[in-house]
Amino acid sequence: MRPTRREFLWTMGGAATAYGLWQVPDLVREVDSFAETGWSPGLEDRINSTCLICPSRCGIRGRLVDEHLVGITGNPLHPMSRGGVCPRGVAGVQMLYHPERVASPLARVGPRGAGQWQPVSHEEALGQIAERLQVLRTEGRPEALALLAGYCAGTMQDLWRQFLRSFGSPNYVADDYNDGTDTIMALMHGIPRRPSYDLEQAEFVLSFGASLFESWWSPLQAFVAFSNPGGGNGQRRRFVQIDTRFSRTAARAHDWIGIRPGTHAVLALGIAYVLIRDELFDADFVSRHVSGFEDFVDDHGRPVEGYRSRVVRNYRTEEVSVITGVPVERITSLARALAEGGRQVSVCGAEVMFSRNGLLAGLAVHSLNVLLGSVNRPGGVLVGDDPPLDPLVEPLLDSTSEAGLGHAPVAEAPPFGAGDQASRFAEVMAEDEAPSIEALLLYYSNPLSSSARREQWTRVLEKIPFVVSFSPFLDETAHQADLVLPDLLPYERWQDAPAPISYPYPVWGLTRPLVQPQGGGMHTGDAVLALAKNVGGAVAQSLPYQSFEDLLQVRARGLFSAGRGVILGSEFERQYHREMEQRGWWLREHNEFESFWEDLVDSGGWTDLFYDDTDPLRMSRTPNGRIDLLPAELLRLQDTQEGERQLYMDVGSDDDGAPDEFPLRLIPYRVSTLASGTLALEKWLVEQPVVFPDVLWVPWVEVSPITARALGFGDGSMVWVVSPRGRYRARLKMFPGTAPENVCAPYGLRHPDGEQANPLRMLDGSVDALTGLPSWSSTFVRLERA
Amino acid sequence: MTRWGMVIDLDKCTGCAACEVACKSENNIAPVSPEQAEMGRAMSWMKVMAHVEGDFPNTTMDSYPRPCMHCDNPPCIRVCPVRATYINDEGIVGQIYPRCIGCRYCANACPYTTKYFNWYGPEWAESERQHLNPDVSVRPKGVIEKCTFCHHRLQQAREDARADRRELREEDYQPACVDVCPTRAITFGDLDNPSHHVAELREDPRAMRLLEDLGTQPKVYYLRRGH
Amino acid sequence: MRRDVAEKLARMDADEQALLRPLVDTSRGFYVTAAFLAAVVVWGLFSYYLQVRYGLGRTGLNRPGYWGIYIICFVFFIGISHAGTLISAILRVSKAEWRRSITRSAELITVLVIGFGAIQPIIDLGRPDRVLNVIFHAQPRSPLLWDVVSIGLYFISCTIYLYVPLLPDLAIIRDSGIKAPRLYRFLAAGYRDTPYQHVVLERVIKVLAIVVIPIAVSVHTIIGWIFAMTLRPMWHSTIFGPYFVVGAIYSGIAAILIAMVILRRAYRLEEYFRDVHFDYLGRMLLLMACLWFYFTFAEHLTVFYGAEPAEMRTFWSKITGQYAVPFWMMTFGCFVIPFALMARSATRTPRGTLIAGIAVVIGMWLERYNIVVPTSVNPIWEIEAIGRYMPSWIELSIMAGACAGFILLYMVSTKFVPIVSIWEIREGREMVHEVAERVARYSGAHTSSTRVGA
Ligand SMILES: Nc1nc2c(c(=O)[nH]1)N[C@H]1C(S)=C(S)[C@@H](COP(=O)(O)OP(=O)(O)OC[C@H]3O[C@@H](n4cnc5c(=O)[nH]c(N)nc54)[C@H](O)[C@@H]3O)O[C@H]1N2
Ligand SMILES: Nc1nc2c(c(=O)[nH]1)N[C@H]1C(S)=C(S)[C@@H](COP(=O)(O)OP(=O)(O)OC[C@H]3O[C@@H](n4cnc5c(=O)[nH]c(N)nc54)[C@H](O)[C@@H]3O)O[C@H]1N2
Ligand code: SF4
Ligand code: SF4
Ligand code: SF4
Ligand code: SF4
Ligand code: SF4
Ligand SMILES: [Mo]
Repeated sequence: MRPTRREFLWTMGGAATAYGLWQVPDLVREVDSFAETGWSPGLEDRINSTCLICPSRCGIRGRLVDEHLVGITGNPLHPMSRGGVCPRGVAGVQMLYHPERVASPLARVGPRGAGQWQPVSHEEALGQIAERLQVLRTEGRPEALALLAGYCAGTMQDLWRQFLRSFGSPNYVADDYNDGTDTIMALMHGIPRRPSYDLEQAEFVLSFGASLFESWWSPLQAFVAFSNPGGGNGQRRRFVQIDTRFSRTAARAHDWIGIRPGTHAVLALGIAYVLIRDELFDADFVSRHVSGFEDFVDDHGRPVEGYRSRVVRNYRTEEVSVITGVPVERITSLARALAEGGRQVSVCGAEVMFSRNGLLAGLAVHSLNVLLGSVNRPGGVLVGDDPPLDPLVEPLLDSTSEAGLGHAPVAEAPPFGAGDQASRFAEVMAEDEAPSIEALLLYYSNPLSSSARREQWTRVLEKIPFVVSFSPFLDETAHQADLVLPDLLPYERWQDAPAPISYPYPVWGLTRPLVQPQGGGMHTGDAVLALAKNVGGAVAQSLPYQSFEDLLQVRARGLFSAGRGVILGSEFERQYHREMEQRGWWLREHNEFESFWEDLVDSGGWTDLFYDDTDPLRMSRTPNGRIDLLPAELLRLQDTQEGERQLYMDVGSDDDGAPDEFPLRLIPYRVSTLASGTLALEKWLVEQPVVFPDVLWVPWVEVSPITARALGFGDGSMVWVVSPRGRYRARLKMFPGTAPENVCAPYGLRHPDGEQANPLRMLDGSVDALTGLPSWSSTFVRLERA
Repeated sequence: MTRWGMVIDLDKCTGCAACEVACKSENNIAPVSPEQAEMGRAMSWMKVMAHVEGDFPNTTMDSYPRPCMHCDNPPCIRVCPVRATYINDEGIVGQIYPRCIGCRYCANACPYTTKYFNWYGPEWAESERQHLNPDVSVRPKGVIEKCTFCHHRLQQAREDARADRRELREEDYQPACVDVCPTRAITFGDLDNPSHHVAELREDPRAMRLLEDLGTQPKVYYLRRGH
Repeated sequence: MRRDVAEKLARMDADEQALLRPLVDTSRGFYVTAAFLAAVVVWGLFSYYLQVRYGLGRTGLNRPGYWGIYIICFVFFIGISHAGTLISAILRVSKAEWRRSITRSAELITVLVIGFGAIQPIIDLGRPDRVLNVIFHAQPRSPLLWDVVSIGLYFISCTIYLYVPLLPDLAIIRDSGIKAPRLYRFLAAGYRDTPYQHVVLERVIKVLAIVVIPIAVSVHTIIGWIFAMTLRPMWHSTIFGPYFVVGAIYSGIAAILIAMVILRRAYRLEEYFRDVHFDYLGRMLLLMACLWFYFTFAEHLTVFYGAEPAEMRTFWSKITGQYAVPFWMMTFGCFVIPFALMARSATRTPRGTLIAGIAVVIGMWLERYNIVVPTSVNPIWEIEAIGRYMPSWIELSIMAGACAGFILLYMVSTKFVPIVSIWEIREGREMVHEVAERVARYSGAHTSSTRVGA
């Protein structure tokens, strides 16, 4: 029987419908596939370790289920962070399990930067590096090796230094957190060590632009102090923030004093003026411990104006008010509050130092601590010490290394402090007659992304025939390298993590593997030890350690036998030990090193919470034993150089204001949740980088609504930020906390498509000639519609 | 009667957002793509909200970490047509993901905008699945989710306490956001148990609740900034 | 038209000829339009497939803009559905004689559009596969559940209310044998128009007309309550029940007017849709325009005087802010244009009512937009950021598909049922006398009332 057309159509239609219905459960099941992924109860474990994401080095506790790291919280035993962590620390799991980790060592096969790689074994990679390095030594040019190293204070840094030294290279180029405050201490106190701040016992914290809650040495140190309402004497603790920007620190501090850019030091001396005028300063302390306060006659018999006269002559409150934009009453009341605030401390932020006369400004800020006697006493500026680790073996130097070390480093030092070595290195190397560097190792450093002078670094890398990156991610610079030997991530490796110097007590945090290594990476510490063996000779003998873990144990023996300090313990144990040590008691808790080490690893570290403030060497180590308000070295320099700025006289910013074509001042700042390149890989952080203004993913700049409207921009318009050095694209966010003449620009962000948005590249390139540190707030820009 | 609640001290909170990220990590909250985030589809059961007022240099800011308020009189559960959001005996307002039909009525009814919808299914790279917390189910596309006071931790704490033959203690059950907060701004416990800190803190003169006049009776209290 | 059918038609009376012709005579224009609409429907279905496959992410919805086009269309379509039933029921109950030619087309709108309205919330679901949870896990305190019940009841009662008055006409078609004899034999269900049947029919219609009114009122009241039962600014309002009912009737009348003008043109029904119908319906439209304005004004005035910050945020977003354009377009469409046109008898013509009808339909859609979106994106807590909502092409396609589907079904229906009730027209003609008597009774009302009083 032949079907009719109608029957045919019905049959087809029916079949189609039936098929459609058949598909429905599938559609539904597809939807459910997530809900159905298998579940089984796992084995759970909690292990203490230390966070290595920023210099704060907080104690963390990993939660492991079936050997996966499923969560990070704080380690309550850590004396500084006390169980707290910041969002970056929590998001660490996203770094560990990031899909873009380099899976094995990679050797370049195509041209540089083409992204053609050949996976190689660890031995092969190490062999290739060793071969290149050996040639340098046999040819007598060990100084042609350079290392660019990010922040790695602790044994990793010591190891690298030992390696380079025994190899014969003077080119350890630090690309890390150098805020120049060590220079203040060196000049005034004769102690070349960054100041520590006893925030926890301070009752009045006056921060000059230090982003205490965002990107300071240790936000956690600041958080813990802030949350504890009582100061040492039971008085309510107050935080006052002096800041150009309505930063989050400013927002949460008890008071914010909005100030013109670059005038922090003027305000500091304005406060000093009131303290002197109203005799609110600690005259007793000044007369006993300070020199340079009154006028004096120098060695050549010339009269020198002292601190008091300089301040009284130059910083009358009305004038200070005009310069800083802070009302007269505010200055006076601030000075009174500071003087009467009990244990007060003034914190000098990196941003004070990062200006064209940063050193003079920093000295001015610190002079307040000196005036009020807030030095070497509870709640003041303290001079801490490092954990008493055993040193590495004495490096063996053969003739090759001796000769190499005889060369000056590529990045020579500025008059004071270490300067910005990485930038200086790039500057020198980019010149036509640059010294010959033939091998560059990159550790925790990605200058092509982070440097303000990308072009310079591009040229530098072109000149260097052999570049090795140890980065676990193919960052911009690793992309241009010849060999990538990926490091393990902090959750997979052994490392020590001393607390930052801002914390007054030595803490030796320990980072230990929480999980098995994810890919084919290799601990860079072990790689260095293996390299040393491969290179042989003096280098091998200077680093006779089996593994990095062994090396840590060797060093920890120093703690074991130091006769002080204690393995991290509870609040009660901490208190107990502090009090015991105060009375000169110390009880040995472990008789063998092995059990000591075991407990140390379990608890996450070692600390010594006793600070001896009767030790005069913690006050001053100058020849006359006094704190020098007018450091002779500086006076001498100012004498010899005509027109040089004078201490306590020219501390304001020296720019001539905004030129017509660039009417707005660029204020770069660091977002608390982000900044360094690696953090931008953690989606939880990029998704919502700051609490205000409300932004997501796309880089932004903060502009006062008044300015934005005057320029015809709406909230959320895309703009070009244009400086004489270049331009970048960002989204304009109207933010009422921004001064109308400023553009606040967070750095460390990137457009979702990878486009760079780095305000640091816009900087005018000026530096503080004394410290070599960059000036970050002397750049002017304009905004254009994008 | 146990009534779990939270007190957040705004004097202590610095708005660091550690709580926010810790919540995402604990509860497997998937990040969304930039385009999706741009559309307002990013998820944050705990969200640190900021309120900025005044022009330079007289600007002030208040920050409010905002979880679900676990209202005692929750407008969200009344409107749900399928009882996929409920309040239990101990005052925790929970979600039943496999039952939710995704009508988003509860989301509109919640005055605190704490409900998040899975516009797409969550996306995790293969390697990222390793950090998922096995105690918390991953939500499929099309359902509503929100802060649960980490009630999976309560279950675990109960079992542990039972295994040890003892009563549940205050410190046994603490949500993830409380765990990490560096300033200890968040306190959690049983509001009806006088030995728990929250019971005392909520009597503080600075204590208040959000949109109190709506009568939703939130169990999340804030201590106003009072310095 | 087949010859035998033409002959059969020729044998019928004038009313039957005019009103049954569309059932058997289909123009090319009809096919072209239907094909186009069908294409749009298919496109809409495809869009929905994508939405189910990939998730509601394909829409423009977000947090806090949780609701958008689908919910707007839900309210809008169900509103339109108040056209028929309510109008025709009210007119029937009040024995308005001029209703006779318009009830059928109105009731048809109702029945056909309810379905399209009812599926909107399902389209809006994140998990349409779990829609039956509404039954398995019913939570009776949810207004959404009340809605499921009331819309279900409404659909059933409207269908009956459409079908019962259709019986005599179905019987006429069956008897004339001009179309699908087996189908109409089934549909006419043995109706023979015996006097007994007729009396029963009239009585049933009377009862249904009364029953349907409260159900219709409840439907849109509850839809209003879906919003009003939340604490959201400018939703949490006691006025919403009646406000929604008024809006629904208003948009319903506008929809009838548009349908009538088109039917009149397409099927040459000038005889049945006379100017007087447009005049009367125009007056009703005018009345509803005023009522609508009254409610809208009252709603906004109370909000303005209350001046609660959260309410004011939403208020200003409508008056001057983000939603000012739709708001003022709505005011124009729902009030200014219809009022200006319908207030004058000179413009209460088919053309005038068409313009007003279109303005009102668009305006009422915008009204729903202005209710759903601004509140949804404006969280109560002022610290929450105000959201934005832009529908995606998926949503717009599905909306277009639904509109096209409704029009298509309506068109096709006119090929199966006479769009003007033949028997009611006939009955009307026969009742001229009786009506005149009734009218006389109204004018002599005082005598009768004194008599009653006496
Ligand atoms: N969150 C986070 N923290 C980190 C790091 C990280 O990657 N992320 N990395 C660490 C490292 S490597 C570094 S170098 C440090 C950097 O830490 P900070 O030195 O704190 O860095 P920024 O926040 O960039 O400093 C810029 C600040 O200076 C202020 N400012 C701008 N103009 C002026 C001015 O004219 N005068 C003064 N006095 N201040 C001004 C800005 O408002 C801004 O707050 O952070 C460390 N901590
Ligand atoms: N855009 C931008 N530019 C900046 C800054 C910024 O925040 N943003 N900050 C400025 C400042 S203050 C500084 S100090 C410099 C710092 O800039 P860099 O020294 O370049 O430091 P980072 O970008 O933090 O990290 C460098 C690289 O270290 C790698 N890395 C991450 N984890 C590990 C690990 O466990 N082991 C090893 N071996 N490598 C790892 C990452 O791939 C990362 O790309 O940049 C400056 N310039
Ligand atoms: S402050 Fe730094 S060290 Fe501490 S948890 Fe955050 S990222 Fe880690
Ligand atoms: S973690 Fe604590 S301090 Fe940080 S935002 Fe949350 S509540 Fe505030
Ligand atoms: S805050 Fe919102 S989601 Fe939470 S219980 Fe209250 S109404 Fe429900
Ligand atoms: S979205 Fe889910 S939980 Fe919310 S009301 Fe609808 S069904 Fe209930
Ligand atoms: S209680 Fe748990 S679910 Fe709620 S915000 Fe805190 S961490 Fe998130
Ligand atoms: Mo740095």
